Amino acid sequence: MTSMNWTHEQTEARLTDYLEGLLQPEEQLAFDAHVSSCTQCAPLLAGVSHLLTDLHSLDELEPPPRLIYAILDKTLGPRETVTGWRAALAWLGSLANPRVGYGLASMAATFLIIVSASGFSWRKPRLADLKPSSLYRNADRQVHLVYARGTKFVSDLRVVYEIQSRLSQDEQQNPATPDRNRPQTSPNEPGRTDGTNPSSPKQQNRADGIGRNSPMLAAGFPILFERRIR
Amino acid sequence: MRRHTRRIYNICYRFTGNGAEAEDLSQEVFLRVYKTLGSYRSAFGGFATWMTSVTRNLLIDHYRRTKRDRVTDSLDDAMPVVENKASSARRPDELALLGELSSQIQTALTKLSPELREAVILRDLQQLEYSEIQRTLSVPEGTVKSRINRGRIELARILQQMGVRPS
Repeated sequence: MTSMNWTHEQTEARLTDYLEGLLQPEEQLAFDAHVSSCTQCAPLLAGVSHLLTDLHSLDELEPPPRLIYAILDKTLGPRETVTGWRAALAWLGSLANPRVGYGLASMAATFLIIVSASGFSWRKPRLADLKPSSLYRNADRQVHLVYARGTKFVSDLRVVYEIQSRLSQDEQQNPATPDRNRPQTSPNEPGRTDGTNPSSPKQQNRADGIGRNSPMLAAGFPILFERRIR
Repeated sequence: MRRHTRRIYNICYRFTGNGAEAEDLSQEVFLRVYKTLGSYRSAFGGFATWMTSVTRNLLIDHYRRTKRDRVTDSLDDAMPVVENKASSARRPDELALLGELSSQIQTALTKLSPELREAVILRDLQQLEYSEIQRTLSVPEGTVKSRINRGRIELARILQQMGVRPS
């Protein structure tokens, strides 16, 4: 098929196929050849191409908001207008759903947490404790207390780990050093030095460890033992 | 619900070119769908396609019903002032919503025959596949393609005559 036998009618009839890429290669060549040399078909092709671009660029219209309510009224019937105490009952009834329950519980829990954190005493409640200045002061105190406790805890942990690392280091250096100062314990009751019975095996093991390592602790951290003596 | 409302309203608006009529027709569509829901079969090709088919039938009914009114209107407005006529039928908020291009295309669409108009709306504005349009219009696929092709060419010519696309 060539441009010589491709007519205006064919161009019009196959225009959509051409624009959507549905023509065979030889048909497309003939179409292009005809359009490029035809003063009627070229503007037609340009016009339809522009039209498609414009149509595809159009946004969907937003329906008026009242339309949905009108449709619901028409299909399900008009909504009943309730007034007076029935309206109040209906409103209360609408609260009886899980979502509202969860919301109220969440609000109550939040309130309790905030009030408790502010130092309010539930056993001896006082109205003065609920004053904003009191709440702020108590909350500030609580925050500082928590911070101080946290700092102390971290510091204690650091000391304990340091002691443990030094003890293990010393054990590795002197694995078989006899200990004269070690308190004598019965083979059947290791760790028992004061005549009392350890309450549990764990406690007994701790006592054994402390007793075994006390000279090294005294050498490494004399301040601990000085404090204990005082 | 909201998605279907939007889609149906757009089809109705593009077909009639009038916001109030589009609202009324959208309500009619949902009412008919609600009443004839029992007749829907999934073999038809999806609920949306079925709804579009219901919409199309109502639009054609509406077109036939209002044909006499439109002839009277066109005799009253002998001059080619279709755009002004369409604009006067719209509310100010609609005019603000529609851009100039949209308004011109809308005016040109209302000049198309209903068969070509619905084909172009479904294909180029609603982006439906040929098979969906075929099921909606209940015509062979060849007819669908032919209507879309003729509708596009006719629409381009109308816009050209309106001076939107100078040759």
